[in-house]
Amino acid sequence: MIKRTPIGVRVLQYTFLVIAVIFALYPVWFALLASGRSGGRLYTLSLPGMFFPVDWSFENYRFMLFERPYLTWITNSFKVASITTIFSLVVCTSAAFALSRFRFKGREFFLIFLLAISTFPGILSLVAIAQVLTAVGLFGKHLGLILAFTSATLVFCTWNLKGYFDTIPIDLEEAAQIDGTTPVQAFFLIALPLARPALAVTAILAFMTGWGDFIFSSVLVPAPDTVKLAVPALYSLANSVSVPWGQFAAGAVIVVIPTVLVYLALNRYFEAGLTVGGVKG
Amino acid sequence: MNTWKGTRKGLTIFFFLFPTMLGILVFNVYPIVLNTYISFTNRNKFRPKPDCEVFFTGLLDPLCWPQFRQNAQGGLGQPYRLAEPLFANYQALLGKLFSAEALMALGKILLAFTPLIGAVYVNRRLDREIERPISSGGVWLIAIALVVGLGVLLSIRAAFNQLMTTGPFIIVVLRTILFVAIRVPLTFVFGLTLALILNDSRLKGKTFFRVALFVPWGASSVAILMALVWQFFFRQQGTINQLFSQIGIQGPIWLQNPVSAFGVVVLADLWFSYPFFMVAILGALQSIPVELYEAAEVDGANWWVQLQRITLPLIRPAVLPATVLTSITAFQMFGTAYAITAGGPLAGADTPGATEFVMVYAYRQIYQLQNYGRATAFAVLIFIMLFLATLYSLRITRITKGAYES
Repeated sequence: MIKRTPIGVRVLQYTFLVIAVIFALYPVWFALLASGRSGGRLYTLSLPGMFFPVDWSFENYRFMLFERPYLTWITNSFKVASITTIFSLVVCTSAAFALSRFRFKGREFFLIFLLAISTFPGILSLVAIAQVLTAVGLFGKHLGLILAFTSATLVFCTWNLKGYFDTIPIDLEEAAQIDGTTPVQAFFLIALPLARPALAVTAILAFMTGWGDFIFSSVLVPAPDTVKLAVPALYSLANSVSVPWGQFAAGAVIVVIPTVLVYLALNRYFEAGLTVGGVKG
Repeated sequence: MNTWKGTRKGLTIFFFLFPTMLGILVFNVYPIVLNTYISFTNRNKFRPKPDCEVFFTGLLDPLCWPQFRQNAQGGLGQPYRLAEPLFANYQALLGKLFSAEALMALGKILLAFTPLIGAVYVNRRLDREIERPISSGGVWLIAIALVVGLGVLLSIRAAFNQLMTTGPFIIVVLRTILFVAIRVPLTFVFGLTLALILNDSRLKGKTFFRVALFVPWGASSVAILMALVWQFFFRQQGTINQLFSQIGIQGPIWLQNPVSAFGVVVLADLWFSYPFFMVAILGALQSIPVELYEAAEVDGANWWVQLQRITLPLIRPAVLPATVLTSITAFQMFGTAYAITAGGPLAGADTPGATEFVMVYAYRQIYQLQNYGRATAFAVLIFIMLFLATLYSLRITRITKGAYES
C-alpha cells in the first residue's frame, strides 16, 4: 500500500488543477460569451459579463448563417475536408499495406525518405504547388486544394498506419492464404477491420488538416466568396476594417466547437491509435 | 510473410506504392527542386514571369511546359533570370556571416554552450555507476554555472550583437531557437505536473479534469482562430487590461513591447501544445509498475528521489520522441505567432520583428513582399538545418527502430 496523500498536498494539487482548468477553458468560454453578445462589441465593460452570459442572444449566429455566405463556406470546408479524408485513407492504406506486408529493396530508404522530405516547410513548397496547379488549371478550384491537402497528410498517415499494421499478427492472414485467398484479399478481409482504431485516428487527423488549415486554402483558393473555406474567410473577416467581433466569434464557435467535441469523444482512441511517437505539439 | 515472389510481388508492391510516390513526387520533391532553382534567380514582385528560353527555367517551371503554356497568366512584369552573382540571395540573407569577426562571435557563443553538451556525457558516464557521486541535477547546475561564467568571460552579449548585424537569417533562426528553448521545456514541465497529479488513483473528479484539460488540443486544429482570441486578451483594450483597470492599474500595451509580445506568443502556444504532452506522459506513467514505488517507500526514498530515479527514467523512452517531434513542430510554428503579432512589433524596414519566427518570416517574404528569390533561399537553408536535425533525432530517439528492421 502506498501511504495516503497528506491533506496539504491534496489542497495544493487541486489548486493547481483548478488554475489549469481555468487556463484551458477560458479562451473557448470567452469566444462562446462573445458570440452571444449583441452588437459589434467583443468586450463588455461589466465584470460579470466577462465570465457569465449576461445578455445572451442568438442574433450573431442568425446573421452569420443567413445573411452571410457562411453556410457556403462551412459546406465548402466540409466537402474539401471529407474528400481529403477519403483520398488520404485510400492512398495511405495501400502504401502502408505494401510497406508492412512485403519486404523489398529500398523499403527502409523509402520510409526514412518520407520522414526526411516532410521537414521541408509546407509554407514554402506552396509557391511551387500553386504554380503546378496553375499550369494544370486547378488553381482556385477545390480539387487542387484537395490534392494539396492529401499530399500534406501522406507522410504522417502512411507512417501511422504502417506502424499499426505491424502490430497485427500476420498468422491470421497466412491461415487465410492456406484457405485459398491471395495476400491482398487476406489483408483487406482480415487485417484492415482489426486496424479500426488507427484508421479512425488517421481519418480524424486528415479531416482536421482540411478543416482547420489556413495557409493552403487562403493561397490556393483566394476568391471568390462562393468557393472560399470557412477558416480563411473568418480570418479575413477579423482583419477587415470595421470588425463585427460578435459575428466573428459566432463563426469561430461554429468551426471550433465541433472539433473540440470530436476530440473529446475520441479522447481514448488517441492513445490506442497513434503509433508514431506523436502528432503535433 | 507473403508467398508471392518475383515479378508478381514486384508489380503488387509497385501498384500499392504508386499513388503515394506520385503524390510525394509532385507535391514534395518537385517543390524542393523548383525552390532550390528559384533561390538562384532574381524572381520577385517585378519579375514574376518565367523566361522559357533559359534552359533550366524551361525545364523546371511548369508554366513553360508546352501543354500548359496557355494557362500561364499574361500581364505586366519582367521575366526572372539567374541572379548575378549566383549566390546573391544567400548573401543577402547570411550577409556578413562569413567575415572574421562574425565567425569569431559564432565560435564564442558555441564555446560558451559546450558545458551543456559536456553535462550530457558526464551524466551518461555517471549513470553506469552504482553510487553516483553527484546527482544529475547537480551536474546540470555546474554546467549552467560554467555557461554563465564563460558567457561573462567571453563577453557573449557583444558576440550576439555582432551576429545580429550579419543579416536576417541569423536573427530569425536565433529567435526561433530561443522560442523553442523556452516553450518546449515549459510545456514539458506543465504537462508532467498535470500528468503526475492526474495519475493519482485516489484523486476525485479525475475524469472531469482529464477531459477539461484536453480541450485545447481539440481547439488547436483551428489554431489560427483561437490564436486571435488570445490576441484579444492582450490588446490595449483587451480582457487582461480591463481586469487591471478594475483594480485601478493602467495595463501596458502588451503587443507593442518586444519582450511581452514574445511572452504572449509563448503563453498562447503553451495553451495549444500542453495537452499532447499531458496525454503522452499520462500514458507512459500508467505503464510503470506500482511495485517499484512500494519498494522505494520501503527503502525510505522520498517523493523527489522517486521522481528522479523511477518516474523520469521510465517515461523517457515514450516521452523523448514526443519531445523531439514537438521541438521540430515548434520550430515550424506559424499560426499562433502570425495571428497574434504578425511577426511584430517591427523594429525597422528590413529587420525582422521580435516574434518573426522562421515560418512567419518566410510567409511574409513570399506572400506580402513577394520576394521569391530570397524566401526560397531561406527555405533551402532552413531545410538543410531541419533535415540534419531530423536525421540526428531519429538516431538518438530510435523512433524508427523496429519500424523497418525485421
